[in-house]
Amino acid sequence: MFACVNIPDFPVAAIVRAEPLLREHAVAVLNGKPPQVRVFALNDKARLLGMEIGMTKLQAAIFEIPEEEGAVAKKIDPKKKSSSIELSKHPVKKQCKPTAAILRQRSPAQEESSHAALLDVAHAFTPRVEDTRPGRLLLDLAGLERLYGPEAAMARELASRVSTVGLECNIGVAANPDAAMHAACGFSGITVIPAGEETKRLGVLPINVLLDSFDIARGKPKTAVAAREREKLQVRMLDTLERWGVRDFRTLALLPEHALAARLGEAGALLQRLSQGTCVRTLALCEPCVHFEEALELESAVETLEPLSFLLNRLLEQLCARLEARALAVQELKLRLQLEPRAADEQAATLQEVAAAQNAVLLPDRREGNLYARTLRLPVAMRDPRVLLKLLRLDLAGHRPGAPVCKLWITAEQARPRSAQRGLFLPVTPETERLEVTLARITGVVGERRAGIAKLLDTHRSDAFQMERFVLQEEPGNRNRGLTLSDPPDVALVALRVFRPSHPICVQMAEGRPCKLAMLTPDAERNELEGKILWAAGPWHSSGDWWAEQSASKSNSEKSQVWDREEWDIALANDGDSSVVLYRIYRDTGTGQWFADASYD
Amino acid sequence: MLPTATLRAQVESSLGEVLSSTLLLREKTAPLTISTGVVALDALTGGLPRGALSEITGTASSGRTGVMLAALAGTTRRDESCALVDASDSFDPTSAAAAGVDLDRLLWVRCSEGDRSSLHKNQRRTALGRLEQVLKVTDLLLQGGGFGMVVLDLGGIPVASARRVPLTSWFRFRRAVEPTATVLLVIEREPCAKTCASLVIRLQRTAVCARDAAPMTETEFHGWKVLKRAEPTIPPTNIVSHAALLRGMQLRAEVERSWTERKPMHSVGARFELRAAW
Repeated sequence: MFACVNIPDFPVAAIVRAEPLLREHAVAVLNGKPPQVRVFALNDKARLLGMEIGMTKLQAAIFEIPEEEGAVAKKIDPKKKSSSIELSKHPVKKQCKPTAAILRQRSPAQEESSHAALLDVAHAFTPRVEDTRPGRLLLDLAGLERLYGPEAAMARELASRVSTVGLECNIGVAANPDAAMHAACGFSGITVIPAGEETKRLGVLPINVLLDSFDIARGKPKTAVAAREREKLQVRMLDTLERWGVRDFRTLALLPEHALAARLGEAGALLQRLSQGTCVRTLALCEPCVHFEEALELESAVETLEPLSFLLNRLLEQLCARLEARALAVQELKLRLQLEPRAADEQAATLQEVAAAQNAVLLPDRREGNLYARTLRLPVAMRDPRVLLKLLRLDLAGHRPGAPVCKLWITAEQARPRSAQRGLFLPVTPETERLEVTLARITGVVGERRAGIAKLLDTHRSDAFQMERFVLQEEPGNRNRGLTLSDPPDVALVALRVFRPSHPICVQMAEGRPCKLAMLTPDAERNELEGKILWAAGPWHSSGDWWAEQSASKSNSEKSQVWDREEWDIALANDGDSSVVLYRIYRDTGTGQWFADASYD
Repeated sequence: MLPTATLRAQVESSLGEVLSSTLLLREKTAPLTISTGVVALDALTGGLPRGALSEITGTASSGRTGVMLAALAGTTRRDESCALVDASDSFDPTSAAAAGVDLDRLLWVRCSEGDRSSLHKNQRRTALGRLEQVLKVTDLLLQGGGFGMVVLDLGGIPVASARRVPLTSWFRFRRAVEPTATVLLVIEREPCAKTCASLVIRLQRTAVCARDAAPMTETEFHGWKVLKRAEPTIPPTNIVSHAALLRGMQLRAEVERSWTERKPMHSVGARFELRAAW
């Protein structure tokens, strides 16, 4: 058996998927460049209003809801906050007039995302899927009975899965692919046609439903000329059948086969077999999609983070539903924001500065405005849209785009979800998703690269380390486990408390040794760095990276790494509170300047 | 007049849906403890209690940071994750690694005033001071949970600043950490958390061990003395990256407050030694 999943009025469905509140309203999708903007697709409610495909924008605007009356426009305005969206939910139904429609511009990006989502659902159901056309797929159901039950149950399960990605579909199940496709295109809801009853059940369908399957059965035309020839042939055959009074499948199926072939040729015979539901062909299988991207084009640009987060939430829910259908998770999340072109031209310099300061990528595009990109690398694969939204929000709060956003894309780098559970007797560790949100919040408080783990660098330079992202260590360490009070711990060591940056100081020498110390610049927090030196040991001469100084291609950063200094350990008696503190001070032999480097504690 | 038991039963039944065990006194059980990393301190205090706030106080160069690193080393050795909220950005990873801290399990949060010129003007307006950063980060870490030890290092900031931390914050930290297995350890110059702390240890340096190269030996000054110790002139390990002239410190620890007894009847103390890594 084969199943066909068909999304009726697919361009409209793609728009409605991004704006679910439009589901209850008449929606018309416009396409084309001004002044040739015409209605490209409609939903059933718009058809009931009298709208037709091919209408001009002006004609369609007659059916449109006036801005001041339409609560719908307010309801779906992305600038509004959640409370207004929720509150306006019920009054909208009352205010919706039967003569009102909503016009939207066609969005190829959203159609592409919707079709990819449909493909994900189909591939999660069965690996044998034919990508027939946008919004229409054919599935081979052979061997799935043990998993999902009989055909009707399979069709219900499939419809339920499609609805989870925000699409409403018609499903046809039949013994051959074309009959299934005719059922899905001709009937709404779920239609299961038992083998042998195709002619009887499909008989009522109008003849134009055949055109798509006829096109597929004939194969893809190799050249544009051949495609035009085929279109002419289809029109000619439809005209002929219309003149004969053949308007539905049943009439065409009952015509004598030889006489039909004599008049319409091989194409006529093929058309009749299709109408009888006896045409057999193999599916052209497609590979599962590995690119997970959701896009949203906005009617009006969004300026603040609050409404943008609602849109991000919608996209992330769709993305996570797709990933869940494929049993995958997110390892890396890329957010691209297209900024308003006008604002981009005016603020190009500012945006570049902001992007440079925030370590973000700004891709200037003269025609479509600037693209602002942020990448979120996750230490572990996760799929919770709420967590991902929090992380994106916190990231955007620290790295604002600087201009209104008119289009956004979210791309997910797929990964296998974590499957192993930690052991019951392992020490408690922070929950991974929660930890990520906590770390993002901490970064928002203390700044970038101020929270993480310290990785020591392979050098003798003092205070040489680099900050890295904190990642939970799943593997147990190699050290001795289960330390208790009875276990003798290692001997505790004297530690250093480093001054960052080192404090410039003034040191008085006597007999080649420092004897008195004072701060060069007054510092309220370091006022103890003054007094008589009771004890001093040194100097310990150390230098390094001097070889980089001699290099012809040295840069400023390399030059700053060069060190050459004489270190002293001192005991300083503070004049103020008569305390004695141990410090490490050093003299930069290059400049002769003294610095307080650290204290022993 | 109703008997007390009846009155209590009535109050409990009326508030039972809102608050369970309204008038019941919770039995205080002895908390689980972990090692401080110093045998003498463990013997003195019984270890650092989990689900409680502990304070290690002392002046500069009194060995607070050494004890903190020893405690962190013991916790990371048990494969537990730790967090260090560093108020003065003075943590030295090299010392920590030498003390046995697994740096991969230590989240180091460096709070500081920082260079605000690099921030966006909106961020600059909302940028927090150092102490506010410390409190906010600690709140986030304790609410997030899952850390074996959270250390607040206030040892580098003046006592006057540390005392500005409102008592309500310490109460909040104590309440946040109570139902968890986290040790909240505060390093500071003077005790600040008052009654919120379950354990307060005061450290004092009694002597400094220096190499023979030191010019002054057996010198007394304000109760501080340098001991002469015969040591090889060449350091035995290759981890030396600085003067390596200090050999160690002798310390005295005193318990000012403890979870084991409500009020110490007399001053109890212990002596131990911190050795240099070289």
